[in-house]
Amino acid sequence: MKRIGKLMFVLLALILVISACGGNSGKNGSNTDSVSSSGNQATGSEVPKNDSKEKITNLNVLIFGDGNTVKDLPIIQDAVNAHIKDLINVKVNMTIISPGDYVQKTNLLLSGNEQVDLMIVSPFFGYYSQVARGQLQPLDELIDQHGPDIKSVLGEDYLNTSRVNGKIYGVVPMKDMASGAGLTMRKDLVDKYGIDVTKIKSLEDMTAVFKVIKENEPGIIPLISGATGASMLYFNKWYDDLGDGLGVLPNFDNGMKVVNLFETTEYAEQLKLMREWYNKGYIGKDAATTKEVHLDVVKAGRAFSYFGPTKVGKVEQESNSTGRPMVGAEYLAPASTTSSVLSFMWAVPLNAKTPEKSMKLLNLMYKDKDLINLLSWGVEGTHYVKISDNVINYPEGITAANNPYAMGTKWQFGNSFSAYTLNGSDPDIFKKLEEFNKSAIKSKALGFSFDNSQVKTEIAAVTNVMNTYKNALEAGLLDPADKLPEYISKLKEAGIDKIIEEKQKQLDEWVKFN
Amino acid sequence: MDQKAASLRMMKWKKILPLTLMALPGVLYLLINNYMPMFGLVIAFKDVNFAKGILASDWIGFKNFFYLFKTQDAYIITRNTLLYNGAFIVLTTVSAIGVAILLNEVKNQIVKRFYQSIILLPFLVSMVIVSYLVYAFLSTETGLLNKVVFPKLGISEISWYIEAKYWPYILTIIHVWKNIGFSCVIYLASIIGIDQEYYEAATLDGASKWQQIRSITIPFIMPVIVMLSLISIGRIFYSDFGLFYQVPMNSGTISSTTNVIDTYVYRGLLQLGDIGMSSAAGLYQSLVGLVLVVLTNYVIRKINKENALF
Repeated sequence: MKRIGKLMFVLLALILVISACGGNSGKNGSNTDSVSSSGNQATGSEVPKNDSKEKITNLNVLIFGDGNTVKDLPIIQDAVNAHIKDLINVKVNMTIISPGDYVQKTNLLLSGNEQVDLMIVSPFFGYYSQVARGQLQPLDELIDQHGPDIKSVLGEDYLNTSRVNGKIYGVVPMKDMASGAGLTMRKDLVDKYGIDVTKIKSLEDMTAVFKVIKENEPGIIPLISGATGASMLYFNKWYDDLGDGLGVLPNFDNGMKVVNLFETTEYAEQLKLMREWYNKGYIGKDAATTKEVHLDVVKAGRAFSYFGPTKVGKVEQESNSTGRPMVGAEYLAPASTTSSVLSFMWAVPLNAKTPEKSMKLLNLMYKDKDLINLLSWGVEGTHYVKISDNVINYPEGITAANNPYAMGTKWQFGNSFSAYTLNGSDPDIFKKLEEFNKSAIKSKALGFSFDNSQVKTEIAAVTNVMNTYKNALEAGLLDPADKLPEYISKLKEAGIDKIIEEKQKQLDEWVKFN
Repeated sequence: MDQKAASLRMMKWKKILPLTLMALPGVLYLLINNYMPMFGLVIAFKDVNFAKGILASDWIGFKNFFYLFKTQDAYIITRNTLLYNGAFIVLTTVSAIGVAILLNEVKNQIVKRFYQSIILLPFLVSMVIVSYLVYAFLSTETGLLNKVVFPKLGISEISWYIEAKYWPYILTIIHVWKNIGFSCVIYLASIIGIDQEYYEAATLDGASKWQQIRSITIPFIMPVIVMLSLISIGRIFYSDFGLFYQVPMNSGTISSTTNVIDTYVYRGLLQLGDIGMSSAAGLYQSLVGLVLVVLTNYVIRKINKENALF
């Protein structure tokens, strides 16, 4: 009897311990949560403590790119840490996340209390929702205090573009800020059939080109989608998409009147053309469902062309990716919209422990040429050798193919225009890019950002309707004669008009103050 | 007298204690994994703002639920979910029992094992792989049906991935093919458990195979059938996400027959990432699931009390 009593006691104790552990872990989670959220307001006053040069601050930085091509990232990280220790007394821990995983992984990190101090965000990856959900910190004061070089490099205009409800939440790196639309084609076939690419000035002009390819090259699909999962006309931006494409500004002006893209006559005409192309076999029949990467399909010799955004150096870059010389024809002039400027930004998440250190590190990326080149090209002598002031080459034994630090997304590192250029590529590329940014058409609504929190329900419903129709209509799989009206009425049912109305209201408000 | 009662109580304890101990880890697991997260249900009624924290976020009532019922999609996805899962439950159960009975009749052990493995194999294959197996059959550019079979039969090409009408059949066939093996194993186990004497007696009385199956096998495995069906009915509002999302290659055009609640929510929230709306949909699913289980159990109780789950 006594023994059983003892056993019971032990058992009870065990239960208590286990349940206490469970309870605690739950509480701990919420505790740190409240600490980190209230800590953000408090850190401003704690600045002197952190600046005392005694303790080194650890910063977790998320960068954007393909982790498989930068195996030497730890080496670069050590070099970066050695370089910045004396400058801002921080130690960074860089994590690279590939485009395919970016949304899911960052969402997980941000929703689950992980410490992230600086990261790349993008409207494609839910920047506005992150702001609405309070996951990013406003940066105005931080930039004023710790980001003088960010201000001088970017200028007010680009900084202001990222404002949401009057506050800056993201800082764009120096990159291409505009984008046009073009058709990228295989140069060998273009030359073979004497196609004059300078004559391609509109979608209609392409019909004749595709006809030649279809008739003479069996087994080659004349046109495929320019991005996996994106609809055929995704890059055909003859309008400012005002953030999400639900309610657009045709021709980047339209007297500031927001319209439903799918109701425009232009869109109807384009769909008719797509249907004609599909019926004639110019568009791949699997266009709406394929998951193949367009560059791979071209590489394998199964396709002739695809749509894509145009910018300086783009064709050169894609020739490298497909392993075939490519040639581009731009049919929509480059334009600068809020979306194209904000395509990628640096942000300081709510989970950042020391926002002012994050900002100091970010500022360094706009100031310190050595840091930028370290991040972009790796360690001098190991990953590159200098051959003149601004031109570099691979050291012996390293090629573009086996480079252990082939950072493909160099544009993300702050003032990326001050990076070196590789021997053999255009040494004036950055000057040209700057020129490109300046000369692009500026949308009348450049700087306007749509706050969709009032119409979340409608957006969820409209998104579902779009998933049903958009890809298939734009790839010509469905006949627009009866399916386009059906699409439009389903959109209205889902509440697209309410979204447009809300957008118009916000745009009118924005116009008053700008 | 007192002492006797005390020792009797002791005896009872002795019996209960080991069982309680054995149940303890499971109960704790349930508590931590299934009950504690239930506090998260408040998220469905809140406009979650991470800066404020979950508890301090604003209450918005049923607003998160509205998008589910915004369009007639709510009707389509509810209909699809119910009809598909209903058909799946009936067809899988019937065919699994049939196969289990047939397997039970196979006397050669090696052959029996072989059949069993072959039937179970699809259950172990990932849905993503299944989706590409299906794609190999149905693709318009390179598919087996369109390029090899149809030309021989003189049938013209079918664009499977944009024609909604074929998908109820395609999805049902795939589901039964994939899941029959697993249910079959469970039914086979309970059939083997039936005492052979019943069959011997029946044979002596001159009962045919069919009569034996109807009067001995089926009644004996009835409790298992009811239990498995009840479990499936409880999850009737949850659909096999892989089947409905991967296999149709996420082709939007055929969504009128392939869209179910899970895929609807996934597609809608993929772009928005709003956890409030996701929890709202989850709550809606579980509530309807609960109602259905209670209802089914009630009906079964009315018919045969023995077979009811609770």
